[in-house]
Amino acid sequence: MKIVVLLSAGAHPVSSAPVLPRLEAQALRLALALGETTGLHAGPSAAPAADALGHGLGLLTHLATREGDDPIPALVAALKAETPDLVLAGRRGQGGEETGLAPYAVAAALGVTIVADAVALAPGAAPGSLVVEQALPKGARRRLVVRLPALVTVHPGAPAPGAYAYGVARRGRVDTIWGVAGSAAEPNPIAVEERPYRPRPKLMRSAPGTGSAAERLAAATGGMASSGANVLVQPTPDEAARAILEHLRRIGVLAPAVANKPAA
Amino acid sequence: MTYALPVLVFVMVALATAQALRRAAWWRQGAAAEVAWGPGLLALPRRYLVDVHHVVARDAYASRMHAVVAGGLIVATVLAGLAILPSLGGSRLYWAIVALAFGVTAAGSLLVGARRYPAKPRRLSGGRFQILPFLLLAYALGGLAGALLLALGAASTPALIAALALSGVGGLGLAYEVRRGPMRHAVAGALHLVAHPRPGRFRSRLDTALAPLDLDAARLGAETPADFTWNRLLSYDSCIQCGRCETACPAFAAGQPLNPKRLIQDLVAGMTADEPPYAGSPYPNAREVDPPAAPLARLIGPDARIHPDTLWACTTCRACVEECPMMIEHVDAIVSLRRNETMEFARPPEKAADILSDLRGAGEPGGRALSARTDFAAGLDLPVISARGEADVLLWLGEGAYDLRYGRTLRALVRLMRDAGVDFAVLGAEERDTGDLARRLGDEATYQQLARANVETLGRYRFGRIVTADPHALHALRNEYRVFGGEWTVVHHTALLLELIEAGRLKPGVLGGLSVTYHDPCYLGRYNGETEAPRKVLDLIGASRVEMARSGRRSMCCGGGGGAPISDVAGDRRIPDIRMGQAIETGAAVVAVACPTCTAMLEGVTGVRPDVKDIAELLLASMELGA
Amino acid sequence: MTRVRRDPRADRRAAQIASLDRPRFDLAGRAADGGPGRPRRNPRTEFAALRVTGAARPRFDRQHRGEGAVAQVVSAASTPNVIVVDAPAFLVAVVPDAPGGRLTQHDRQLFGAARTLAGAHGAVAALVAGEIEGLGAIGADRVAALASTQNYAPDVTAAALASAFAALSPRHLLFPETPDGGDLARRLALLTGEPLFPDVEQLSATSVSRAARGKRVAQRAAPARLMTLGADVVAPYSGPAREGRSEPLPTAEVSAPAITDARRIPADPATTPLTVADFVVSAGNGVTDIEAFRRLAEALGATPGASRVLCDAGLMPRASQVGASGSVLTATCYLALGVAGAPQHLQGVAGCEHVVAVNTDLHAAMIERAGLAIVQDAQLVMPALIAALESERAS
Ligand SMILES: Cc1cc2nc3c(=O)[nH]c(=O)nc-3n(C[C@H](O)[C@H](O)[C@H](O)COP(=O)(O)OP(=O)(O)OC[C@H]3O[C@@H](n4cnc5c(N)ncnc54)[C@H](O)[C@@H]3O)c2cc1C
Ligand code: SF4
Ligand code: SF4
Repeated sequence: MKIVVLLSAGAHPVSSAPVLPRLEAQALRLALALGETTGLHAGPSAAPAADALGHGLGLLTHLATREGDDPIPALVAALKAETPDLVLAGRRGQGGEETGLAPYAVAAALGVTIVADAVALAPGAAPGSLVVEQALPKGARRRLVVRLPALVTVHPGAPAPGAYAYGVARRGRVDTIWGVAGSAAEPNPIAVEERPYRPRPKLMRSAPGTGSAAERLAAATGGMASSGANVLVQPTPDEAARAILEHLRRIGVLAPAVANKPAA
Repeated sequence: MTYALPVLVFVMVALATAQALRRAAWWRQGAAAEVAWGPGLLALPRRYLVDVHHVVARDAYASRMHAVVAGGLIVATVLAGLAILPSLGGSRLYWAIVALAFGVTAAGSLLVGARRYPAKPRRLSGGRFQILPFLLLAYALGGLAGALLLALGAASTPALIAALALSGVGGLGLAYEVRRGPMRHAVAGALHLVAHPRPGRFRSRLDTALAPLDLDAARLGAETPADFTWNRLLSYDSCIQCGRCETACPAFAAGQPLNPKRLIQDLVAGMTADEPPYAGSPYPNAREVDPPAAPLARLIGPDARIHPDTLWACTTCRACVEECPMMIEHVDAIVSLRRNETMEFARPPEKAADILSDLRGAGEPGGRALSARTDFAAGLDLPVISARGEADVLLWLGEGAYDLRYGRTLRALVRLMRDAGVDFAVLGAEERDTGDLARRLGDEATYQQLARANVETLGRYRFGRIVTADPHALHALRNEYRVFGGEWTVVHHTALLLELIEAGRLKPGVLGGLSVTYHDPCYLGRYNGETEAPRKVLDLIGASRVEMARSGRRSMCCGGGGGAPISDVAGDRRIPDIRMGQAIETGAAVVAVACPTCTAMLEGVTGVRPDVKDIAELLLASMELGA
Repeated sequence: MTRVRRDPRADRRAAQIASLDRPRFDLAGRAADGGPGRPRRNPRTEFAALRVTGAARPRFDRQHRGEGAVAQVVSAASTPNVIVVDAPAFLVAVVPDAPGGRLTQHDRQLFGAARTLAGAHGAVAALVAGEIEGLGAIGADRVAALASTQNYAPDVTAAALASAFAALSPRHLLFPETPDGGDLARRLALLTGEPLFPDVEQLSATSVSRAARGKRVAQRAAPARLMTLGADVVAPYSGPAREGRSEPLPTAEVSAPAITDARRIPADPATTPLTVADFVVSAGNGVTDIEAFRRLAEALGATPGASRVLCDAGLMPRASQVGASGSVLTATCYLALGVAGAPQHLQGVAGCEHVVAVNTDLHAAMIERAGLAIVQDAQLVMPALIAALESERAS
């Protein structure tokens, strides 16, 4: 199986230093376990993506483009020429716009199937097919059989990336060629205004059905037993159990008692 | 017949030489090394009599035994050999002297035997070592009888022939053993003392810094025995399997699959195909490996001679090196093997991958913001050197600064320095990790990247000296950055505090009656020889100090060094629990520490136990009490 | 607070006459609003709509003032408390995930967001495949049924959505930023050429914002046509029920799906990695009855974790260790039984939204960290919890 992993120039989440995004290192790990893999990067410099060599990639093709160019046309042109069976990418970029649209744009331009959020890949039983395990919320999975060629994005729940190794990186190679000149990257079609990010508190989740005005009122005035920090000292075990279950339901991690019964 | 004994000696020497040369052919498989032969040879007597003796003497019995048996053996053999000179061989008095020497050897052989029979201590190897006392005794008794007969003038009697035969069996046996048996240590050991890879060790200097690795080398680190330099291979051959390293090793004590003695023997066994089987204590709880029979094969791997668990269990505490009478450098070997695993095979411990990647990408093993390093000092208004350009003291905070518990220690230190009027500043967000962790995990490339960046940063500022509370950082900054152009005076905070007290700039109070035991950090005590300052500070604050069974340069590791907490190799017990047990035995109310790693490891011990307090915290407490 | 704030700019935009080179406004006409002149308010219906059902004394919910109640609201004769929007000025469409036909909390929040965007004049339309009950109750004015696909076929669903998008021409189309919702949104963005504003973190009628560049900047924009909404950033709609009138859609052409087989593998709390588990129940040194602990984890449907002491002792597997040298959790809830809360342990719990602690020591750090703390022996509480869950199940 011929696999190409799309590699980008990411920024470290804390230091902003240019690094290979973790997701792409994970994609690389999945790819290397599956078949013959090369890497593809479009951009002005190969340096951050070349970290992939230290994760075991043998060959990185660097499509040199000018600063500010849209990388998609270069990637698409190279992939059209290469015709890999499988293209892997991270589900989101790291350090840029992080919209997660690039893989969809590439897949659309190539006219291949796209499957999102893979955590595991295996060759399918039928030739030219691939078994993809997708991550769903809270640990659930979905196993798909996909006809190749396809583009698959990788989810953070995939196996952790292998270690970067300096000696391994020395054995890899970067080929730089000129990429198809795209138009200068289309300015974000949505006009945005940027300001420094400030984390905002998330809403407290509440169990379904507790959103009624009466209950919100009770909660706001502390009328309900367990709002805010609450310490029960030496309750009877039954009291303790009731308080815990009630609390778990209130925060929505435990299904309501009635829902435990199979739907009638 | 007066020539029979000298001839036997010459045959023995010839056999021993032939055997040694056969062995030397294997040493030469190793990589080239620069060896200063002249100075080495000149220094040999001193290295043997002073440095080796210093270590051997820690075991009084072994020391006496070795002096008697080795001294007797050498003297008797040389004297017997000299009897080839007619003037000596004809002298009955001379033979009496020879007999005396053989008598001493025989006594020594009995001491050797008494240690191994009826039961040998666990740390000693069996196998061929169990035959050694018999060979020695045969050679010595035969020589004794023969020399006596000659001294009495009874040449060419059947008794003399029998004596010589006995001596011949023992002597030739010993000579034969030079290639693969216990006597190898004598030849290899002497050569090793001449060609030691760290000659600095003998000049009463602490030569503990890891040597930097050439990142352009064809192969990074050691994959097979042939990747070690020849004089390191020689040094492994000098191992006498005394097991002192095994007794000192914290990982071995905790039942982790590491035994430094066995490790050295595995390196030896990896050289040739016909090494006799190892007969000492195994790697505790080791997983099965299937060692390849071929010589010079890959050393590390689930399918190689040494399981990776063994490699990663080491805390790099150097206790083994400290105890080894043959001056073998176990930690260098381990780091060399780790470098190969990590950099050529991308197989650091599982949890290290992310840590190393954060060190590369963010200069910090936890992926935390460098600017958050000073968060512990909220409200203390730490002066940052970039705002001032210079300071008397640059305070290196280290990784402990991110730790909630250790923040208390650093706050105490900052307060003490303020009280004493020390002009200090920190690097703030410009301080990166020293790379110590990356280096000990075998990632020399990341270490060098960090070291260069730190040297560059420090080079931009003017300061009198660097003070740090982290012995790992101290060791890196003081000893290991030198080759990257960083030469500074680096002082541990305990030394600074002592200095401030002695200069009258800090007035310690008295913690009367508080019983304290001090735990020496490996990277301060063993690596840097600093064991006194913290103890003096404790004495000055009136603590009643008790020592643990192991202390000073022979202290036991807390289990936190060398990336061991990251590798987290399973054992029967945890190293900090063992160390805390030793502290509990002293009955002290407080374990005094002087290192963020020791603090974290010892604080992690559960159950009823003494409090863990840094020297700075105790000093501050005494002052607050006195005020 | 009862009055809905009018957004004059939005009003003006609504009144703009399309396809003229100079902007022109029809301030009087408002053909789209269905009636001439300014919208009339009916204070009585409005008030009635705010009445909290079931309360003994009349109580009014002014906080969630049922924005739609301002104009064109006619209470259906048969069901007096249902809000009906007859001729909305525009549609705000949402595509809930509804896995297995059940709405998630995130889906409900989607309706809350849509309601905010719909304001006084718009209607919220749910685009769903298959039967989903109670869409009106959670805020859908319209329900449009997409052709349901037998299997997981996001390409087919996206094509159906594209045709629905063309047919309904909603002002906004909202997806939850979940694996499936996020995937559909991006597919649709490529199919329609419409720009996407993903992972909205903050939303009002006039602006949305999201984090970008590794959470270093916040990008703010006017609400885009295609958006995905992050979890727990907007409260669910909680006003009176809405009509949920079904809206016909033209049938879309169905192409052959590229995915030939799909099977859902439900999460097994026992094997879910700790780092992604939603609910973790953890045992510390204070738990001696490991068997009871295992049964409790199973009964609660929680992923079992442990402090290092138990892992060291071999009572729990190493992989279940929570903390600095174990797993760092992202769970919604962490139930800690007999865990002291050492700093190294708490590092692993820092990301948990809710902590419940059971500990005999009132001064344990874990008690301090907990939202609900029970000072009691874990060995007594565990069987009580198991018994309570079992009796609930039985009844
Ligand atoms: C480098 C390092 C890394 C570490 N990493 C981790 C890590 O990743 N994860 C981790 O967990 N630890 C870690 N530790 C260990 C940590 O410091 C603590 O030792 C450990 O978390 C304590 O576990 P515990 O709370 O279960 O045990 P204890 O400290 O023994 O606490 C038991 C608690 O249970 C309560 N209790 C006792 N009996 C009962 C009862 N019958 N009912 C209810 N409550 C009872 C007690 O009041 C007490 O609070 C690390 C330590 C070090 C040094
Ligand atoms: S350095 Fe310490 S842990 Fe490593 S082998 Fe030597 S004694 Fe054991
Ligand atoms: S390595 Fe040194 S201490 Fe260890 S057994 Fe050999 S000679 Fe003894």
